[in-house]
Amino acid sequence: MDEPSAPAPDERRALAMLAVSALVIVAFVLYALHGRGAFEQTQRLVLMAEDGAGVSVGMDLTYAGFPVGRVQRIELDEGGKARIEIEVPRKDAKWLRAASVFTLERNLVGGARLRAFTGDLNDKPLPEGAVRPVLRGDATEELPAIVASLKRLLANLERITAEDGNLDTSLANVRSLTARLSGPKGALGVALGGDAEAAKVILAIDRANALLASLEKLSTRLDGAVQKADAKLLGEGGVADEAKASLAQLKAAIADARESLKKVDLILADAQKIAGNAKSASQDLDVLRAEVDASLRKLNALVDDLNRRWPFSRDKEVKLP
Amino acid sequence: MPTLHLREALLFAADAFAAALLPATWTPALRVAVARQVSQAAVAIAPVFLAATVVLAAIVIRVVDRSARDFGLSQYATELFARVVVLEIVPLFVAVFVLLRSGAPFATDLALERQAGRSADRDATLGRGIGIALAVLALAALSAATALVAAYGSLYGFSPWGQDAFARAIGNVFSPVVLGGLALKCVLFAVAVAALPAWSSLSAPVTARAVSDAAPRALVRAFVVLATVEGIAVAVTYA
Repeated sequence: MDEPSAPAPDERRALAMLAVSALVIVAFVLYALHGRGAFEQTQRLVLMAEDGAGVSVGMDLTYAGFPVGRVQRIELDEGGKARIEIEVPRKDAKWLRAASVFTLERNLVGGARLRAFTGDLNDKPLPEGAVRPVLRGDATEELPAIVASLKRLLANLERITAEDGNLDTSLANVRSLTARLSGPKGALGVALGGDAEAAKVILAIDRANALLASLEKLSTRLDGAVQKADAKLLGEGGVADEAKASLAQLKAAIADARESLKKVDLILADAQKIAGNAKSASQDLDVLRAEVDASLRKLNALVDDLNRRWPFSRDKEVKLP
Repeated sequence: MPTLHLREALLFAADAFAAALLPATWTPALRVAVARQVSQAAVAIAPVFLAATVVLAAIVIRVVDRSARDFGLSQYATELFARVVVLEIVPLFVAVFVLLRSGAPFATDLALERQAGRSADRDATLGRGIGIALAVLALAALSAATALVAAYGSLYGFSPWGQDAFARAIGNVFSPVVLGGLALKCVLFAVAVAALPAWSSLSAPVTARAVSDAAPRALVRAFVVLATVEGIAVAVTYA
């Protein structure tokens, strides 16, 4: 075996190859660690889920489709809930706020997804070590209920579409109905329940037509009568003119009556005066009558006294003067 | 029918591996032998091999990305590619390639020397084995990196805006445990590709057919070991 004193080209190339390979290995390891966020400052977020199925270490927490955190640890806590610890890089922590909502979604295809929703980006920042519940959105969980409902639906459908079922009977009814509809007096017969009823309706319509014809004749005659009445009432020398003349005469009569009433008014004034005099005279008569009454009472008393004093007298009639 | 003799093979490989780690082993003659082997097994074929890796990576990432998009799972395309190509296919592909190109001649050369009645030169044999092992490691590292670059280029072109998502996907796949497992698997592949051909020839009886049987026997044994290591790695990673 030859032993070269200076590095042979083989040795140089081999050294270069090995050096490059070593550099690539180191770079690859550093790149993988960088990809895992080993050189980033992070803060911890703990999500509590009822069921941690589908969640795995290394899984992303996404916000608006972008990964903002990575699951570092999953464990069952004392309360029997899945405790999911997530490392959130400080540079991405701004997307998570105190009021952020976290969901764990499991789809039919693909793995589970942890998603964050932040309604207000001006809210307080998410504190270090914050513990938040995670809401579940599981499409597969609804499947059993959907399948059960579907089974019931199919059973109902089968019952409805079965021979002698409701749908079959209904279709038979529809068939007979359409057959009747396509016949003479079809729609009317269907609507009224029989051909006899339909015939009655048609007869009634004929009669109504005849009635309308006679009404039309009557209307024509009435029209002529109205024209004549119009001529009598409003024509030359008609009732309207006479009424107008009568109204003029009535107006003159009313004027005469007004004059007469004025005269009566004067007479009444005079009568009022006469009545005033009569009233005073009647007052004098009252006094006079009172005096006569007094005299009569005195005379009566006198007669009574005479009768009492005159015992033979039986005639009690008193003759007044 | 060749038998594996697993225990003897493992002892031989462990012995060689330990010797390679000892500083005293690294004599000038060994360094020359290592350099020559690395140059022959890795440097000489690196351009063609890396070009083949680029083509393979571009095809696989296209297929995976298209299929993932069809299923609405495009976010998993990079991870799937990294797991399938970088973690599994590339190391195995490199090991098989180096085994066929350098392991088989190594076994045949050792059988020829034994057939000629010469005892194997320790430095030359060990140096050649170490060189093959280093070639496997170097090519695996360069191929993996090339495959990732090709995948990025195929997915995002020259745009730098896919870098975050790509790095995140790579980071998700290559956790420290996975990186350690990948490194261990590559070392086992390297040792198997380097040690098994040597052990296969050195342990075989010197017969008339020893030379012609050396390469097939070494390849079969190495393939069995590579398949076993790959199977164990997959089982440990995904089971």
